[in-house]
Amino acid sequence: MAAQPDEEVFVFRTGDMALGVLSARVREVTRMGPLTPLPRTPSFVLGVVGHRGEVLPLIDLLRFFGQGESRPTSRSRFFIGETGSFMAAFFADAVVGLRRILLSDKLPPPLGGGSQAEFLTGVVQSPEFGTLNLLDVAKVITHARAKAVIR
Amino acid sequence: MTTDTPATGGKKKKSTTPSPTPVPASARVTSSEAAALLAAVRNMAEGKYDVRVDLSGLSAESAQLAVAINDLMTRVQEDLAESNYRRERIQHVVDNAIGGLMVVVRQGELSAFNTSTDDPVLAPLLDGFGKVIETLRTFVREINEAALRLSSSANEVLAASTQHESSSTEQAAAIHETTATMEELKHASAQIAENAGSVARVAEETLNSARSGRGAIAEFIQAMQQIRADGIAVSESITKLLRRVERIGTVVEVIDEIADRSDLLALNAALEGSRAGEAGKGFSIVAAEMRRLAENVLDSTKEIKNLISEIREATTAAAGAAEASRTATEAGERLGSVAATAVEGILAGVQETSDAARVINLATQQQRTATEQVVASMAEIEDVTRQTTQASKQATSAAAELTQLATRLSELIKRFKAD
Repeated sequence: MAAQPDEEVFVFRTGDMALGVLSARVREVTRMGPLTPLPRTPSFVLGVVGHRGEVLPLIDLLRFFGQGESRPTSRSRFFIGETGSFMAAFFADAVVGLRRILLSDKLPPPLGGGSQAEFLTGVVQSPEFGTLNLLDVAKVITHARAKAVIR
Repeated sequence: MTTDTPATGGKKKKSTTPSPTPVPASARVTSSEAAALLAAVRNMAEGKYDVRVDLSGLSAESAQLAVAINDLMTRVQEDLAESNYRRERIQHVVDNAIGGLMVVVRQGELSAFNTSTDDPVLAPLLDGFGKVIETLRTFVREINEAALRLSSSANEVLAASTQHESSSTEQAAAIHETTATMEELKHASAQIAENAGSVARVAEETLNSARSGRGAIAEFIQAMQQIRADGIAVSESITKLLRRVERIGTVVEVIDEIADRSDLLALNAALEGSRAGEAGKGFSIVAAEMRRLAENVLDSTKEIKNLISEIREATTAAAGAAEASRTATEAGERLGSVAATAVEGILAGVQETSDAARVINLATQQQRTATEQVVASMAEIEDVTRQTTQASKQATSAAAELTQLATRLSELIKRFKAD
């Protein structure tokens, strides 16, 4: 890991947070399509969306972190994150794009920084976003699946 | 009368003297007897009626004559005595009458005159006197009355003429005042004439102004109509512009949509490039450039949309303004026609004012002439009044004199006591 000087992240905003996901974990970015609500699911699962023949759950990260609710608009996007054989759609208020960050700039997630801290791989201070939270998508998907199944 | 009476007696004696004429028929009368008879007659002729012829020693014939003579003597003596008595009576009555007249003359006492007498000869005379006195009494009474009346009349005349004098003095003062007033009136009417002249001038000027105002209003109405027509054209243009802008909006929406899709495509292309590792690096760079372009387009379309909404607002405002302008010009036209009517009214009114001012000017000039005539007449009246005053002064003094005269007359006539 130390041999790689940088890594590429997909940066988006939701609520007032700037979040980054390793671009290798992002399969595609797409526009909001028809959303089908699902009964008996956790509140952070907004419903299911169809994408290239597959039905994916749409997760609202704000609700997931317990920091409010996202408000989907016609301009809203979601990206499809993947980990192993699992995929999920994540709601994004605005997509920023791909950015390269130096690993040396990467800091560990702040202790006691809220509920989202356990799903972060680290944070990067940048003049463009302020604090960029690097999200562990695999962990989020695993956790979400576990929660959904339990219910 | 008293002296005549013995003369008559004498004559009677003389006329009786030839009565013994038949005596010589008896030639038996002696001379002595004749002498005695003659002496007796002579005595009678001398007025000695108390002598009687002595019958003794006379012949019959002489005695007869002597008796006759004696009888005659007695008769004459008796007549004489009666005549004297009557004369005294008359004298007494005449004295009484004279005394009464004296009283009348001295004391003016007319009531005291007594006219009664039993003398049939004097009665008519005294009666005449009485009548004269009665007439005088009547006169005095009437004169007294007349004097009283004259006095009161003279007093009245005096009062009247005094009043007349004061009245004519007042009249003179009034005429003086009237003359002064007429002078003022003359000045005032001159002022009025002047003012009416300036009114006529002003009216003439106003007439010209109103005429030019009428022309201006006609031009104004025409301009308003032009503005309304222009406003309608502007309104149509604005509607067309709005339609074009809507069309531009539609086009921009399409561009926006395309740009949005391009943005997504570029993003996903960049992700693909990234997944391809070193081989996809160049691809990723191109994709990033494409994404920047798409974002630029989105920024531009956002700007255009803002501009379109601004244009829409502006055109809506312009349409509203054009509508307001149309309403305003219509109101302007209406007002213009109202103003035109008003100016027509003003024209008529000013024309009338001008005519009236001219008439007033003429009338005041006539008035001035009339006033001058009145002033002249007043001067004449003043003259006449002065004369009247003079005359009434004279009348007053004459009346005063007349009063004095009446008083004097009254005093004079008071001396006669009629009652």
